[in-house]
Amino acid sequence: MWEKKPVLFLLLATLAILVGTIVTMVIPFAWVNTEADRIATVTPYTPLQQAGRDVYIREGCNNCHSQTVRPLVADVLRYGEYSKSGEFVYDRPFLWGSRRTGPDLARLGGKYPDAWHTQHMEAPTSMIPKSNMPAYAFLNQNPLDPGYIRKCMKVLGFPYTEADIAALNGKTEMDAMVAYLQKLGTGIPKAAAAAVVGDLKNPFPKDPGSMQAGQQLFAQNCAACHGSHGEGGIGPELEPESYQDADLFKTIYNGITDNGMPSFAALGSTKVWQLTNFVNYRKEH
Amino acid sequence: MDWASVLYLGVTGGLLAVFILIVLRTCGKRNRSRLEEPKHRMLDDD
Amino acid sequence: METPPYNYAIVRSFIVWSILWGVVAVLVGVLISFQLVEPALNLPPYLTYGRLRPLHTNAGIYGWGIGSFFALFYYMVQRLCRTPLWSDGLARFQLWLFNATIITAAVTLLLGYTTSKEYHELEWPVDIMVVVLWVVFSVNIIMTIVRRREEQMYISLWYMMAALVGVAVLYLVNAAEVPVSLFKSYSAYAGTNDANVQWWFGHNAVAMVLTAPPLAVFYYFLPKSTGVPIFSHRISIIAFWSLVFMYLWTGAHHLLWTPVPDWVQTLAMAFSIMLIAPSWGSVFNGYLSMNGQWHQMRENYLVKFLILGITFYGLQTLQGPSQAIRTFSAFIHYTEWVPGHVHMGAMGWVSMVLFAAIYYLVPRLYDRELYSIPLANLHFWLVLIGQLVYSVSMWIAGLQQAGMWHALNSDGSLTYTFMETLVEMYPYWWIRAIGGVIYLAGVLVFIYNLVRTARSGKPAADAVAA
Repeated sequence: MWEKKPVLFLLLATLAILVGTIVTMVIPFAWVNTEADRIATVTPYTPLQQAGRDVYIREGCNNCHSQTVRPLVADVLRYGEYSKSGEFVYDRPFLWGSRRTGPDLARLGGKYPDAWHTQHMEAPTSMIPKSNMPAYAFLNQNPLDPGYIRKCMKVLGFPYTEADIAALNGKTEMDAMVAYLQKLGTGIPKAAAAAVVGDLKNPFPKDPGSMQAGQQLFAQNCAACHGSHGEGGIGPELEPESYQDADLFKTIYNGITDNGMPSFAALGSTKVWQLTNFVNYRKEH
Repeated sequence: MDWASVLYLGVTGGLLAVFILIVLRTCGKRNRSRLEEPKHRMLDDD
Repeated sequence: METPPYNYAIVRSFIVWSILWGVVAVLVGVLISFQLVEPALNLPPYLTYGRLRPLHTNAGIYGWGIGSFFALFYYMVQRLCRTPLWSDGLARFQLWLFNATIITAAVTLLLGYTTSKEYHELEWPVDIMVVVLWVVFSVNIIMTIVRRREEQMYISLWYMMAALVGVAVLYLVNAAEVPVSLFKSYSAYAGTNDANVQWWFGHNAVAMVLTAPPLAVFYYFLPKSTGVPIFSHRISIIAFWSLVFMYLWTGAHHLLWTPVPDWVQTLAMAFSIMLIAPSWGSVFNGYLSMNGQWHQMRENYLVKFLILGITFYGLQTLQGPSQAIRTFSAFIHYTEWVPGHVHMGAMGWVSMVLFAAIYYLVPRLYDRELYSIPLANLHFWLVLIGQLVYSVSMWIAGLQQAGMWHALNSDGSLTYTFMETLVEMYPYWWIRAIGGVIYLAGVLVFIYNLVRTARSGKPAADAVAA
């Protein structure tokens, strides 16, 4: 039979291949990206954001950064609300990635201020001392090409105005990249921050051990924006002895997202108290 | 049983039948020596 | 018996070029492994990790892998069909197109022209070159088979033909994209659909490029090297149909816990486990073929490569399905464990089998004896140790990384920040890079041995001549 008839064999092999293909690859199109998946607040990319997305693809960022938060405790704590299918309907191609050499970026939007991203892209180790991310300062030198981006928007069928396109003049690939990163994961409303309950009493006021732990945490998490001595930078100067412990704790724990201050809830309350102690009671100046 | 379950069972059963037929045909006594022949033939082509 | 005028020149040429691209793949791999420990080695814009990593994978899979399969398929198809190649001219054209495609791929990837899809990064004009290449190749192989003088087809031909149609279907469907400019396109699919199509492609590229063709090679070169037929042709037939049927269901095991529909993930998980059976069918068939021949593991360097190769295939096809289980995937997915797994397949299974086939062929194609068997043994140990250092260090790294990512304090908060987990990786990344250097040294010994064989090996005794 087929072991003597190559043409018949090829047909049968193709048939064998097609069964699984149809069930697991073709049929899902009936479910995915349909009305049932739709999320009203998810919007297409603006010309600037799409230009940034194309830079992200060109530089192969997806080789080290994933863009899907899984519904697992540690994933959700570290990165935020788990990813929904409807959030990706405008992603051509998808950029979920397969490795986390660097952190997941699915919920990066709004987490840091623009200035943080620019400085981090220019010189990653200036923000995160032991980072192994390559520097992308050259993006500052590359101006955007509005005509080309208009063409991209047309192919993708995303809405835009001529004013949007005109606004790209004078913008660089760095601006586009930052705009894209700030859009990531913002299609659904931010989950309410875990409420801080209880009377917020500092469990170790001015305890030297906790101050020392706080100093280390400060260097890792705060110094990039507030300066290594709290003298300010992207973020404001931090004057010792000028906060209520409870208020400072809440600011660090919840962040002030409109201001660009990220939430550090993921550190856990113990470490946030240690940071609070260090920021408020360190001997400097 | 709804039609989806019937379809599911039908497809699964059909695929299983195909598999069993392949095994029976391949391992049946009738084809034994014929289907083993190529492994000897491939060695004496030098 | 009269021997038909086989075309060995094309086999030689493809072997030479595939080895060249193989060295490029390993060199770039070593470079990017050092970039991970020393970011200053990134030279933007062209030589950053993000642009070099696709070059590494493409040179490895398409340059070294497919390039040597071109060579070996052309050799095997002529011998197994006892008929010369259907078209020598077409094969010659294919050689040129192959090299043109790989060079275009390398240049465009470094320029940043990429679709971003893993193992399918090439942009649409290069895609078209790949498609033409594959059609030309398939036509030549299939026409040769059609005109064969051997009635019943040996199992290697089955795997070869399955690879031909498999790659064609996978590549064309996943390549659907809308061009914007000469080197930019957008995927025809969006979001979750795009992900599902891509990993249906991605995992089955492993089936149709890195499983079926090396199995064809293994089933041909093991009996040729030992002089004893395979244990059972019928087992290989049942394993064949099971493998080509079941592989296609499993793509979504790369997408466990993502927004891809749950039932697709569950099917992928179930079929991944079921795949152990046909995979190990081939492994047992290989081991049982060695019945009474195990002494050849000491005496015959070809057998060493082949048996270690099939052993790594066996390990790979146990580790793979275990990673496809939801709970284990939740732990190790996205970690360093995964490159450890992939490289056991690439450096252990596929490359070991290719090394053996090339060692078998080069003396016959050049009509000389192998320059040095001790060097072949040295090559064996270097690539074996290099690969084990790579994979084992990455498995340990992956487990530590996963443990740290998932660790929680008693108050329910995360124990480690991301950076605290990253800095723990540096020692492992150093070890991995050293493993890569050892492997590279092995490949260089291999090449030296082959060059000396072709240039100044002893003329072969008649018994060895093909």
